[in-house]
Amino acid sequence: MRYSPTLVDHFLNPRNAGLMREPDSVGENEYEGCGDLTRFFLRVRDGRAVEIRFQTYGCGPTIAAASMASELYRGRLVGDLCRLEAGEIERALEGLPDDRKHAADIAAGALRAAAFQYQARRG
Amino acid sequence: MSRRVYLDHNASTPVHPEVLAEMLPYFAEVYGNPSSIHAFGREAREGMDLARERVASFLKVSSQEIVFTSGGTESDNFAVKGLAWARGKGHLITSQVEHHAVIRACRAIEAQGFDLTCVRVDEFGMVDPDDVRRAIRPDTVAISIMHANSEVGTIQPIEAIGRIAREHGIPFHVDAVQTFGKLPLDVNALGIDALSFSAHKIYGPKGVAGLFIRKGSKMVAVQHGGEHERRRRAGTENVAGIVGLGKAVEIRARDMHTEAERVTALRDRLWDGVRSRVPEVRLSGHCAHRLPGTASFLFRHVESESIVLGLDLKGIGVSAGSACTSGNVEPSHVLVAMGVPLEWAMGAVRCSLGRSTSAEDIDYVIECVEPLVRKLRQAMPVGVV
Repeated sequence: MRYSPTLVDHFLNPRNAGLMREPDSVGENEYEGCGDLTRFFLRVRDGRAVEIRFQTYGCGPTIAAASMASELYRGRLVGDLCRLEAGEIERALEGLPDDRKHAADIAAGALRAAAFQYQARRG
Repeated sequence: MSRRVYLDHNASTPVHPEVLAEMLPYFAEVYGNPSSIHAFGREAREGMDLARERVASFLKVSSQEIVFTSGGTESDNFAVKGLAWARGKGHLITSQVEHHAVIRACRAIEAQGFDLTCVRVDEFGMVDPDDVRRAIRPDTVAISIMHANSEVGTIQPIEAIGRIAREHGIPFHVDAVQTFGKLPLDVNALGIDALSFSAHKIYGPKGVAGLFIRKGSKMVAVQHGGEHERRRRAGTENVAGIVGLGKAVEIRARDMHTEAERVTALRDRLWDGVRSRVPEVRLSGHCAHRLPGTASFLFRHVESESIVLGLDLKGIGVSAGSACTSGNVEPSHVLVAMGVPLEWAMGAVRCSLGRSTSAEDIDYVIECVEPLVRKLRQAMPVGVV
């Protein structure tokens, strides 16, 4: 199989997919040339992302990466989310084929954007 | 996962058991070089001659007008370059929806100084013969238009275009890889001077195909070497493959009509089932002039590769109309030429049925498509593309 069982599971059963009512921040990332797009919504309490939801338009790995990130970073400090790296998402998915590495990049970029937006609003 | 449903017959087909049986002796028992004059060579030659006869009979032409090649791509390159190079310079006409084998061969010729016109298609992927007529110039050296499109299934008005080509004395090449063995093909009635066909689309082996070249056509070889194929295509022939191609054609001539009826009914069952359960889906291509077993769906606001992956995980093989490679994704050039909006084109999924496809298979696919598309749409922001 080209994709790991973990990736397939997140693709078939995406966690936290869909809109969030009145989020504390929203971040988006579109992969240039590809058209894949992911959008994260954060609910923050005491500086931590207590709820993360996403919407994504893209291929299977892109959906799986967003779903994985929404679980992986729930409960983390927003400051930590500003520094998160795509490699962590990729490892959690048990790897991505070379031609699908961008899936983790899109998710990481979108989640960082949501974290930065929250911090910017807080001043 | 137990059930497996293959709905990608426009990409390739399994070798028919009768074809395989006829090919097998030609690997280890009849192994001579067909160009050799001894008995070993003659035996191989006999197998190849029979295959040539079978293909010629299907096309209602002389066996001397059939050249075997290594694939549809080679046949298309041979036709386009062979016709153009035979005239040295001039102008070619093709369409915007041809297979890359034709389009890129034409582009290569263009880079060598030829002029090229790619005629447009309408929203159904159909070429207007009058556009071809208007594109003709005094120095037009060839017209190349496909018989049916592999992605959307639209069948082109080949007879009308062939008539125009004849009126102007311009050689007419038809890429018939998707129709050979699926639809009747009378190259004389259709006014065709060169026709590409392939084995693996009709339950023959991969790596073997052919080109009909009308006797007297001015065409040069593009591959040089020995005296094979009446000096038109150098290289020792793929004898076992050619034998398989011949048998595959013979079987298709026998089964083609009943099979076309059967897969057409299944294709319609698939479309009716999907559209009754899934909102915002439409069929691309022409509603009437369409390949019997081809149903190309456009799912709005869904990315086609995610549908292909989701169905793959259910054991169903279909193909995506847009492909993402290393982060670059583009809708197919065919859908772009048809003017399909991006939000629909990005969700293009092609199902192509074949002789193994059953009504139960179709019902299973319908059952799987609906929840998959619903789930994908839940995760996808509407209006992104």
